[in-house]
Amino acid sequence: MKLEIRKIPESEPEMVEVRYHWMTDEIQEIISFVKSRQGQLTAAWDGKRFEVPVVDLFYAESVDDRLFLYTAADSYEIRMKLYELEDLLKNRGFLRISKSMIVNLMKITFVRPALNGRFSAVLKNGEEVIISRKYVPALKNILKGGES
Amino acid sequence: MTRQKWKGLLIRALRLYTLLVTLITVLMIILGNLLDRDRVFSYDAFFSPLLYALIGTVATMVTRSERELSIRDLIIRKVISLLIIEGAIIFIALNADTIPTEKSWVLPGLVLGIFVVFVLAHIIQYLIDRKEAEKLNADLARFQEKQRNGSPI
Repeated sequence: MKLEIRKIPESEPEMVEVRYHWMTDEIQEIISFVKSRQGQLTAAWDGKRFEVPVVDLFYAESVDDRLFLYTAADSYEIRMKLYELEDLLKNRGFLRISKSMIVNLMKITFVRPALNGRFSAVLKNGEEVIISRKYVPALKNILKGGES
Repeated sequence: MTRQKWKGLLIRALRLYTLLVTLITVLMIILGNLLDRDRVFSYDAFFSPLLYALIGTVATMVTRSERELSIRDLIIRKVISLLIIEGAIIFIALNADTIPTEKSWVLPGLVLGIFVVFVLAHIIQYLIDRKEAEKLNADLARFQEKQRNGSPI
């Protein structure tokens, strides 16, 4: 099997393309590896099920006991508790930033002060989310290479 | 409340207290020189900024919340906090012999002065937070760079 690795500009999305003639165990194994490496979450919207890659997630928010996932432009509902998702994504660059929200640190463009010792994070899609004062020490810790 | 939270709260309170002592002292120097230049004080006068700053700090701490407040709730609490400070300091002024409240400009001057100190304290705290945000952004850029290069988190 030919292997092609190509560096692309940051403006283009990173991707792994698998071209095959027949779906063999070997191909399936490669696909499963990539999926597990990336991490995908099964979520739903409008009655349809979607596989949402973890790397595409911007943030997750709990609203009235329902948990929603937000990507750059879409939102999905996932049947999970926020703390369970937090645990699942703990070592994938996600961090709890308020009582009801976890954010993907890779999707933050910059952080700026908000009122009363809080900070707000401006995300790569232009959205802004509040980082509560309580969670600022954890943010500092993880950015310095510690655990979330 | 955990020990870490108490520590954070104490640091913020001490920082605010020190800031208020400085701002109140500056305000007293300016207002005193402009409006009541000939007045002579005893050493007890040095207690005034310490006491007023304590009132300001306690009022701010009393109106803080464990809940994550909305911007509207936050502004309401700030206004309550300002009213408590204004009320407490005016009460002291009316009952203290050292403040000439019989002069017509003193009480309005005091109210305005407290407001100015309140606003300045918030501006300075914002600037401190902005400095902290700059550091966070530098750390965030390093973190994201490391992640992109495939280093473990």
